[in-house]
Amino acid sequence: MFFEIIDVFISGLINGSVYSLMAVGLTLVYGVTKAFNFAYGSFYVLGGYFAWLLLVRYGVPGGYLTVIVTAVPFFFVIGFLSEKILIAPLRRYGDWEMKVMMLTLGLSLFMDYSFQSVFGPRVKSIPSFTEDIFEFGDFVILHQDIAIFTVSICCMLGLRWVLNNTRIGMAVMATAQNPVGAQIVGIPKDFIYAATFAISTILAGMGGILLCQKNLINPMGGSDIMIKAWVITAFGGMGSIRGSLYAAFILGMLEAFVGWYFGMMYVQIATLTLLLVTLAVRPKGLLGRE
Amino acid sequence: MSLKRMIAILGAFYLVMGVLPIFTGSADHLNILTMILIWAVVASCWDVIMGFAGILSFGQVAFYVIGAYASAILSVSHGISPLVSIPLAGCITGVFGIIVGLPCLKLAGHYVALVTFALHMVLVPFLRGPLGRAIGSGGAQGILTVPPIELFGYAFNADTLVPFFYLTLVLTIIFTLVLVAVIKSHWGQAFLVIKDSEQFASSLGVCSYKYKLMVFALTSFITGFFGALYAHYVGMLSTKMLSMDVFTLLMIMMVVGGIGKYPGVVIAAAITVTINQLLAPLGMYRPQIMGAIVILLVLTLRGGIVGIFEKFLSSRPEGGISLGR
Repeated sequence: MFFEIIDVFISGLINGSVYSLMAVGLTLVYGVTKAFNFAYGSFYVLGGYFAWLLLVRYGVPGGYLTVIVTAVPFFFVIGFLSEKILIAPLRRYGDWEMKVMMLTLGLSLFMDYSFQSVFGPRVKSIPSFTEDIFEFGDFVILHQDIAIFTVSICCMLGLRWVLNNTRIGMAVMATAQNPVGAQIVGIPKDFIYAATFAISTILAGMGGILLCQKNLINPMGGSDIMIKAWVITAFGGMGSIRGSLYAAFILGMLEAFVGWYFGMMYVQIATLTLLLVTLAVRPKGLLGRE
Repeated sequence: MSLKRMIAILGAFYLVMGVLPIFTGSADHLNILTMILIWAVVASCWDVIMGFAGILSFGQVAFYVIGAYASAILSVSHGISPLVSIPLAGCITGVFGIIVGLPCLKLAGHYVALVTFALHMVLVPFLRGPLGRAIGSGGAQGILTVPPIELFGYAFNADTLVPFFYLTLVLTIIFTLVLVAVIKSHWGQAFLVIKDSEQFASSLGVCSYKYKLMVFALTSFITGFFGALYAHYVGMLSTKMLSMDVFTLLMIMMVVGGIGKYPGVVIAAAITVTINQLLAPLGMYRPQIMGAIVILLVLTLRGGIVGIFEKFLSSRPEGGISLGR
């Protein structure tokens, strides 16, 4: 019983770390550009297929190191282009927030079904980082879990470093705080918007590469992840990175424990109930600014 | 848009719809025509809540399905005649609308979208799970034997498409008139004020809570009513109705018709349902193409078809901000 609880706790921790990666990307875009990206889950699935193509289909040398190193520029370009082509033209009009939601919903439908017709409707699996395990008596930890946890924490710390210490990161923060003021001091706002979107796409793709080792790659799996990331961002407070970090771990734990105790069917209901209760008490989420 | 022009467009549209069955006898065509009528009302409701009241509600399909299931369960498991169960299902959906609307009163735009979409997401596991089976949703299989509407011993079912079409037409016209009346009354004005500025609305003495709840209740009642009608028309229900392509179809109607440009969605419903039927032979590529259509339409068709007409009709100089409705 005790070891089971520890197991569930660890799986909650792993879930939480990957969810935080996903949710932070979503909340970053919302906080900076005020655009809500419904196609976020599809970029996650794209990350899974990217890893599958490189590792299984083409068998590139270097394994995961190559995948991660190539994934960063790949997703940056994809994200940058989709912002420039799809979202930037809408920004001139009054009701663009609604339009962006509709457009990205269409984009996610297009991407999901494109995956299905290109890669086939069957789920695919990618090899895990390692098959090794730690064993302490009854108690087992997969090396893979540790690796996933480490990579996602590194991504988070890297993002934090970029935001706080580099010029582009500071420009992003300035634009989030006051777009007009940022423009006056010479920050190229449109470039920042596109770059932020691209960074969030990298995070989604990374999430896909990491989590698809545990969960199989499903062409329709994006919406599920999307909903989770969305719930986490709303729960933590939209636009608040720290809030979504906390929320990701709380909901990761909730998912692990509810799934273990009551069955996976109740996970979604429990998550959404928690969200509704939180929003009823704090309409802006845990750490949302009033 | 002036009341006169609104009535003229709607009158012409429903007149054409009413005449069309005379020229076609094929069951396929009648099915499309009936679905156009149903979707036109559902899309209009979405336009009222999103375009006029400015509430980013993404639960419209969920309300539609709640209405359909409520009426089906009432008539299958409890033996209530569809004549009673359809309005009852509308009322049940209206209550759901108020329940969902209550937490949305205090929330900002994107949170409302999440809460309403959450309703959509919870419905699938609920209807398929043991809780849904307990109230008679039929689980993953769905409800296969929804009885047809019977009026004085005459059954309106899939075999009698023409009478059912006219029954739907009458109901559609009644509810369209209700919606027009709401949009043009002081309610509709209040919705617009709340959309534009909630603070200004409250300074005028317009209680935003009251009107927001009202618009939730009204649109979900009508949506549920037509969901119920649909249930008794097709005779079987499953959770497939909650799939993303139904949602996208409804969204295309909104984009084509123009958000907040009321009679636009009605005409857009006709266009969208027809195009969707034409795409049917493409099978699994259809949702993909629909997604691409959404992207292209949102990028190119900013004011919807109504926007295009307004551009030609209005003498306003180009470049002025015309976010008008």
